[in-house]
Amino acid sequence: MRQFLIRLYPAVWRQRYGDEFEALLEERSIGPFDVADIILGAIDARLRLRGRRSVLTQTRGSSMSLRMGGLAAIVAGATWGFALVVATGVLPWVIADGDQWIQFAIFAVGSIALLLALIGLSAFQAREHPTLIWAAFAVPAVGTVVSLVGLAGMALLNDAPLVAGVSSWYLFSFGLIAAFVGSGLFAIASYRTGSLSRVGSALLAVGSLFLVPTLVTSNSQWAPSFIMVAITVAGFSLGWIVLGASAFRTMAPAADPQPA
Amino acid sequence: MNPKAPEFGRFTEPSLLILVTLSQGPKHGYAIMTDIETDTGRPMGAGTLYAALARLEESGLIEPLAPVDRRRPYRLTGVGASMLAEQLRGLSAFAQQGLRQLGESMS
Repeated sequence: MRQFLIRLYPAVWRQRYGDEFEALLEERSIGPFDVADIILGAIDARLRLRGRRSVLTQTRGSSMSLRMGGLAAIVAGATWGFALVVATGVLPWVIADGDQWIQFAIFAVGSIALLLALIGLSAFQAREHPTLIWAAFAVPAVGTVVSLVGLAGMALLNDAPLVAGVSSWYLFSFGLIAAFVGSGLFAIASYRTGSLSRVGSALLAVGSLFLVPTLVTSNSQWAPSFIMVAITVAGFSLGWIVLGASAFRTMAPAADPQPA
Repeated sequence: MNPKAPEFGRFTEPSLLILVTLSQGPKHGYAIMTDIETDTGRPMGAGTLYAALARLEESGLIEPLAPVDRRRPYRLTGVGASMLAEQLRGLSAFAQQGLRQLGESMS
């Protein structure tokens, strides 16, 4: 009877408390009250152990999404910073106008990294604020995918219409704007949750939301337009890098479950 | 420092009784059970005892000592003693207030 009751407890619990528990049960006669109490104790130990394992699995999942999102955010920030600076034409000796394939490749790497960063960092932050974060994830993620489709169309079909008479260039531009504006929404949501760097979130919000006025004024000879371009590029790029770095700082080693 | 009492749910009262018993010195499971039964007049089941002991140990309020013939004694830690003193002071103040109010209403 004693052995049967002890075996009701999980193995990890028996490993820790089994001997002393058995010694205790040997020192007294076991009545119906004791049997009921031990059964309840065994259920409690199993529930506590299950709760711990679930927390541990969640922690490991969060750690992986943080690692992936953090690394991708740093790559996205650096790549987009480089791509945007090159696109402004201030560094003509770095990539010549004719090297379209290199430009496509850089935009593609930046877009894929951006998508991975959004997935990884959203998955981590969504633990506490699921609605806010997943809503903020949707716009930039869709925008990034659309811009990637447009980019592929530009690389393969040039200016030929891609979908419903819309050219790849328009698709790419539309996706890019959605990705930037969406990144701004994601930054605001991240700032509100406070799980990652608020400085990074603020930089990203400013850089992303400056894109539209920057595009509107980009063809004018208006002097402040250069400053706006600089704010957009620096904010967007640095924002993602700082957010990515803060994801690595947030990571904590997972602990093994203790016996209940 | 006044350490915050951990939330033990339905094991809060058994945990307090165990801490009070261990304030007399280290004891193993059977001694804790019999002392509690003697002091309170109510038996504590082995399942309840070990569920509470595991929580107290995990919270750092008690610590296990080396087992003697399969019976492992537990003793109160410094944090456990501070937390127990704080809890008992709170209960004492609550009891005194209750008695005062009861006295006022009966007079």
